[in-house]
Formats: sequence, structure tokens, C-alpha cells
Amino acid sequence: MAVRLLPAVKFLIKGGLAGAAVYVAYDQGLLGSGTEGAEALRKAQETLPPAIQQWTNYLGWEVRAAQLPSTPKFDFSLSTSWNKGVHTVMSALSVAPTRACEYTVEGWKYVKDLVK
Amino acid sequence: MASEGDLGRKWDRCVADSAVKLGAGFGLGIVFSVIFFKRKTWPIAFGSGMGLGMAYSNCQHDFQSPYLLHGKFVK
Repeated sequence: MAVRLLPAVKFLIKGGLAGAAVYVAYDQGLLGSGTEGAEALRKAQETLPPAIQQWTNYLGWEVRAAQLPSTPKFDFSLSTSWNKGVHTVMSALSVAPTRACEYTVEGWKYVKDLVK
Repeated sequence: MASEGDLGRKWDRCVADSAVKLGAGFGLGIVFSVIFFKRKTWPIAFGSGMGLGMAYSNCQHDFQSPYLLHGKFVK
């Protein structure tokens, strides 16, 4: 009787664990809309560095500031970086003809001085 | 509110959501792989793919509905 029940109990436990994992993911807003996902990432960025710091203190790993670098901040905005990159490239392209003329003149002057 | 700023915010939201959904799909794929599928690799790939697909769908919906404002519901 117990032998026949054991696979069913095992399956129920496994199903419970899997269901709990899915429920936790849903409850934290990981499976919802884009706004909820961004909000979940922002919450994780705020709680993760202090949590790591707390765990290292709890485990008794006294790390001196010189040994371990500070936890990196994840304040990264893709759109700002992209816009900055586009701005830099366009600025470089706009001054490229003027710079090319200047370098050509300097190069010509250098060659003339060498030939003298 | 400048429209190019709004577009930038949508892209940021899209990238953040993609990272979250990919991570969640990967994690759930590992859970299912360990519990049900004898540590095979395909549930992990399946979960990651599902997460990316959900993120793509959310991004598409966000970009194609330009007149929806995102607000917070205060109870």
C-alpha cells in the first residue's frame, strides 16, 4: 500500500515545488506586463547590493574596503547611451573635413621642413 | 513631455523587461528541468525562449500603443 502511494506522494511534492516556483515568479511581477518587469528589475537593483553586504557580514567575511571593490551600480540607460553615441559620432563626422584639412596642412608643412 | 524622451523610456522599459523575463524563464526552466525532466537541457532553453517571446510581445504592445499612459493605481 505504502509502496503504491510513494510515487504519487513524490509527484505531489514535485508538483507543489514547481507550482510554488511559478506562483512566486507571478507574484513578484516577473511574468506580467513590461512596466511590472521594469519595476521588478528596479526593486532587485535596490535590494541586491545591501543584501550581499549583509550576507558577507553575517558569514563573518570581514572584507577591508581596499580588497573588495564597491558593489557596482546598475544605473544603465540604453537610450541615453545610444543617444550619446549617436551625438558623438555625428559631432566627429561634422568636424572631420576641417580636421582633415588641418592635419593635411600640418603634414605638408612637416614634409616641407624635412625636405629643406 | 518630448516624444523622443518617451521613446527612450519605452526602449529602457523594453530592455529591462527582456532581462527580467529571460531570467525568470531561465530560472523556471532550471526548476522544471531538475524536478520533472531529469536535468535535461531542453526545458531551460524552452523557458528562456518563452521568456524572450513574452518580452517581445510586451515590447510590441508598448510600441504599438502610443496613446496609452503608464500610471500607478493609488488605492
